[in-house]
Amino acid sequence: MRLIVKNGYVYDPLNSVDGERMDICVKDGKIVEKVDERKAKIIDAFGMVVMPGGVDIHCHIAGSEVNAGRLLRPEDHFKDIEAKTAITRSGVGHSIPSTFTTGYRYARMGYTTVMNPSMPPLEARHTHEELNDTPMVDKATYPLLGDWWFVLEYLRDGQFKECAAHVAWMIDATKGYAIKIVNPGGLEAWGFGRNVRDINDPVPHFNLTPKEIVRGLCRVNHLLHMPHTIHVHTNNLGKPGNYATALETMKCVENLNNGDKPVIHITHCQFSAFKGSDWRTMESGAEEIARYVNRRKHVTLDMGQVVFTDTTTMTADGPFQYILYQLTGNKWVNHDVETETSSGIVPFRYRRKSYVHATQWSIGLELALLIEDPWKIYLTTDHPNGAPFTTYPRIISWLMSRRARKRTMEKISRRAQRRSLLPSINREYSLYEVAVATRAGTAKALGLKQKGHLGVGADADIAIYNLNPDQVDLAKKPKAVRRAFQTSAYTIKGGEIVAINGDIVKSVEGNTIWVDVKLSSNPRTVVSDLKRRFREYWTVEYENYPVPEDYLTASSPVSVKAEV
Amino acid sequence: MITLRPRHRFTVPVDAECITPDSFADKSIEEIAALQAWEGNRKRVLGDLFKIEGETSAMQEKVSIHIFEDVSKVRRIGAGMSMGEIVVEGSAGMHLGEGMKGGSITVSGDAGSWAGCMMSGGTLEIKGDVGDYVGAPYRGSTKGMGGGLIVVHGNAGNEVGCFMRKGLIKVHGNIGQFAGVHMKKGTIFVEGKCEGRAGAEMVGGKIIICAYIPSVLPTFTIDTIKPKVKVNGEVILGPFYQFIGDLADNGNGKLFVSQTKNPHLKFYEKYL
Amino acid sequence: MKNNVITRLKNACAISETKFLNYSNHRRQVPLVRKNGELMEASLDEAVRRSAEILAKASYPILYGWSCTSCEAIRVGLALAEEAGGVIDNTSTVCHGPSVLSIQDVGMASCTLGQLRHRADLIIYWGSNPWSAHPRHIDRYTAFSDGRFQKSAWRRYLPRLNAALTKKRLDRASSLVLRKEVSAPTETAKSPSYALARKERKMIVVDVRRTHSADVADYFLQVEPNRDYELLQALRMIIRDEELDVDEVAGVPVEVLEDIADVMIGCELGVLFFGVGLTMSEGKLRNIDAALSLVRDLNKRTKFLIMPMRGHFNVTGANTVFTWQTGFPYAVDFSHGYPRYNPGETSVVDILCRGESDASLIIASDPVSHFPRQAVQNLVSSPLIVIDPQITPTSLLADVVIPSAFVGIEAEGTAYRMDHVPLPLKKVVEPPEGYLTDTEILQKIFQQVRRLKGEV
Repeated sequence: MRLIVKNGYVYDPLNSVDGERMDICVKDGKIVEKVDERKAKIIDAFGMVVMPGGVDIHCHIAGSEVNAGRLLRPEDHFKDIEAKTAITRSGVGHSIPSTFTTGYRYARMGYTTVMNPSMPPLEARHTHEELNDTPMVDKATYPLLGDWWFVLEYLRDGQFKECAAHVAWMIDATKGYAIKIVNPGGLEAWGFGRNVRDINDPVPHFNLTPKEIVRGLCRVNHLLHMPHTIHVHTNNLGKPGNYATALETMKCVENLNNGDKPVIHITHCQFSAFKGSDWRTMESGAEEIARYVNRRKHVTLDMGQVVFTDTTTMTADGPFQYILYQLTGNKWVNHDVETETSSGIVPFRYRRKSYVHATQWSIGLELALLIEDPWKIYLTTDHPNGAPFTTYPRIISWLMSRRARKRTMEKISRRAQRRSLLPSINREYSLYEVAVATRAGTAKALGLKQKGHLGVGADADIAIYNLNPDQVDLAKKPKAVRRAFQTSAYTIKGGEIVAINGDIVKSVEGNTIWVDVKLSSNPRTVVSDLKRRFREYWTVEYENYPVPEDYLTASSPVSVKAEV
Repeated sequence: MITLRPRHRFTVPVDAECITPDSFADKSIEEIAALQAWEGNRKRVLGDLFKIEGETSAMQEKVSIHIFEDVSKVRRIGAGMSMGEIVVEGSAGMHLGEGMKGGSITVSGDAGSWAGCMMSGGTLEIKGDVGDYVGAPYRGSTKGMGGGLIVVHGNAGNEVGCFMRKGLIKVHGNIGQFAGVHMKKGTIFVEGKCEGRAGAEMVGGKIIICAYIPSVLPTFTIDTIKPKVKVNGEVILGPFYQFIGDLADNGNGKLFVSQTKNPHLKFYEKYL
Repeated sequence: MKNNVITRLKNACAISETKFLNYSNHRRQVPLVRKNGELMEASLDEAVRRSAEILAKASYPILYGWSCTSCEAIRVGLALAEEAGGVIDNTSTVCHGPSVLSIQDVGMASCTLGQLRHRADLIIYWGSNPWSAHPRHIDRYTAFSDGRFQKSAWRRYLPRLNAALTKKRLDRASSLVLRKEVSAPTETAKSPSYALARKERKMIVVDVRRTHSADVADYFLQVEPNRDYELLQALRMIIRDEELDVDEVAGVPVEVLEDIADVMIGCELGVLFFGVGLTMSEGKLRNIDAALSLVRDLNKRTKFLIMPMRGHFNVTGANTVFTWQTGFPYAVDFSHGYPRYNPGETSVVDILCRGESDASLIIASDPVSHFPRQAVQNLVSSPLIVIDPQITPTSLLADVVIPSAFVGIEAEGTAYRMDHVPLPLKKVVEPPEGYLTDTEILQKIFQQVRRLKGEV
């Protein structure tokens, strides 16, 4: 299948293209230099913006935690429905869409790659089954390893190489993409209903600190040459004063730097950027965090932006989710997973007039606007924790337009208005920076070499938006920006046109990307160690644990060679 | 007044949420007959299912819809309506008046379950019996009835006024179990018997039972004996035992239970 | 195994042994189609074609069962129900449906079974009899299992077992000597012994009668039938340190309840397992509501978790697949072209009782044996398709019967354990000649229905 996207304003930051009018040529699912015009389908992108397909670095869309949320909230579903068509399956869901609907809605926004950030390893099969049923996008998922007993024991004993070999086994067993750490140590403590207080508070029964877990896994990540850094949800998430914990977490791996490349990714940083000592005195710590990040090269972040709507919180941070239940009195689901991790789900509504919620809204934007280098911070809502992913276009309009921010600010809690830094920030994102925050930057941080750009050899994942930067002053027309990003003019996935003006015209499967770690040592030692101890740790048999490759509908491994 | 008569006997469920004064207003009979409805999984127009006759309303007149014969398989009659009236000369199906905001619905026969669910205003009157979940919210939601009046002359089933937030439900007959479960506010008034567990997990609101109830939940505590109770301005003569509960949920709801009709509850008096 | 037949099993519990050794009984070799009132042998193609015709023509078909087949088959089943514009429902509707409804109102604090094996020191079975219904539960996951932080309590069980057997012998001896029935006076509820305050594993059983599981337990609480709701609510109040007005609840004195509450609060990690004793007795979903709320409230004082004891081997899988594809765990109605959910309205037993469906597909289930009579009457009075490995009463009354391979014995697939852990089921023997898997059969029917509905 040959395609030419003609004459659009191309934004391809990884190849330094900033709004140049040029043609993009596609052949057999890849971007190529040239294509015979007579044999190709032509898309006239004159007067429109052309970007690589969106790459979402953190969105909860599949797995046991997400599905428990879906089950918990039929009331979230019945008002927001998608009827079946000849091409698409039916579905539901406002904050936790069903799997087919998730895929279609991402495609309509021009997103083509999504990362599911929380997979309990024991239930990896479930995550992959759901990803198999999520069409239209390429996907990957991160296994939760920060509280895995094997990791805790090896790091406590300082055995980094053995730890790395076991982590490599786990990445293969779960067909995972990156090492995910959530409230390190806290999830193990939650097994008996407790938590850890900060990164130096030792984990009960295991005698090591969260700091040692983060540092240890950072070293493991290097030994394995993983394409992405460790992906960290910090301790004390959602607690006033936790910006100090976020800073300490970033600082604790400073000396593990890898040249100029990042070594740690702090996810949904807004939730970890609170100053103050309680909910009354809570305020934004974005300035301090931005100041630190601006001077360093070893950290990347994503926003975790809040939008004022009814949504659902769901994370692996069991103790934090329990606190949310106590704060709101809403229904609460908890699911602890043996030997490994936990999770919790609580419906939540962010209100404009709530001082705390309005401050949270401000913090996310402050982080994105105060951190000078757009390659360091990416656009997410930690879907659905901050808001459903369908709100991304609204967030883009806030980033690009002071006017849009001002309009929203006028309706929020007055006390939050007075304290917010936003009125003093003039910066408005350009389309180039938006492309970085939503596709180029994320693809680069993830180490996905064929994604997030439109250079020759890239996957032909392209989004065309009905927005003319020459005719429209984007900062003054936030509604037009929002509309354009809400519904792409065209979404092209793997060289096929899949969506046109919001209609799904073709349903495609999408690949599941995972990391195939090739150990330089003999993998059999790890396997026999695990086999020996398996029954002591888990209640399933060793043979039934790993997810075989043919379980994935379309497997797309990324090979790396490890140092162990 | 517009009249509707079923053209044939309905066996599979018919979903006719277009039958509301709001959607009939300012439409000709042909336009009304072209409104969409479902019969099982088949898309139909209202004219396929009903014989529609009568005069359509002029701008200011009240829209009045009369439905004749058995429509107990027809669901969502009056859904979301905000004005006008519907009269059913027969029995109506489930979800009658779902999400109603105003206007009135009267049924001469019985009504199915979920009558008046998610209602926020208007009046719903059923001369016969009604099923379960009168005035309930959607599954998983805590937003029950938000206003309006429901009157049932016959009996009602279980979970009347589940998660209720405002408004008044009156049942002249008997009710099942768990009336007012998770109730926040509002009033449920029952002239007949209750099968038990009234006010379970309530945090506020008022429930009045004028006849026999086998027991009161152990998580309710007796407060006083009231000679009479006011329901919507009307005075109901007691005497009533007044209980406060549900204490398991830190609730402050009031449960009134007839003293004369419940001699087996006399032992509570020693706690006064 | 010998000649593709299973002859012997090692390490199997009673229920699985029956399954594995008897799977080859009651099999029908060939598909059947009813012609002129008689079930006649037919080719697979004909059976598939008739099934597709029945479903494509129906205005409100129901597709029921699903809990004894693989997730892969369920996925096709959902696509088929959506295409046919019907209602798809699984056995939760007669089992733990009420639990789901309550979870949707209140939430649930739960975990995987290994968490309990490692950490739980207080195990409560309420309205459930695992000794008979889940034979391996106690020794694999709870009181008699060994974990990282807790050891098995089977040693304490032995003297109790001896005491119970001795008592039985003495009773029998007395009856023989005195020539009349002698039995100990009926037990009034006693407080749990002080020993239950220890940090070792202990098991409590709550039920309306003394079951086998109760004999194994450290403490048995007998509750008046249909009064579990009151008991659970009373416990909720007591753990808040509030006093009840009444002296007894559900036949249990309040002092005993207060001691039980102390045991619950004083444990390190407690778990409450509940079964159909709660879901199907009076109060139904509100019984579960109270149990879920009790466990949630206990988390203020200590770590406490709750888990339903599921029935069919893949009912959890059915709930899981239904939920990710449609947003709803059972009773899903596709008749308007998108999923709608309202148990009581869209649940299959209710639809059948009201006589609203006009065709049915039953898979891996036997509703003729289990459903209320009126539902069964309506089930068999409209076209009925049955897909099952074995001959059942339902298949005898069907219009189309398609034999399928047994999941977990003759066909592989994924199933979910009661704690949501996904497990691969293996194929152990070859299915009989000509037998397809549920997944393959459903795929064929689906393709034909799509063609008949003009969407291919």
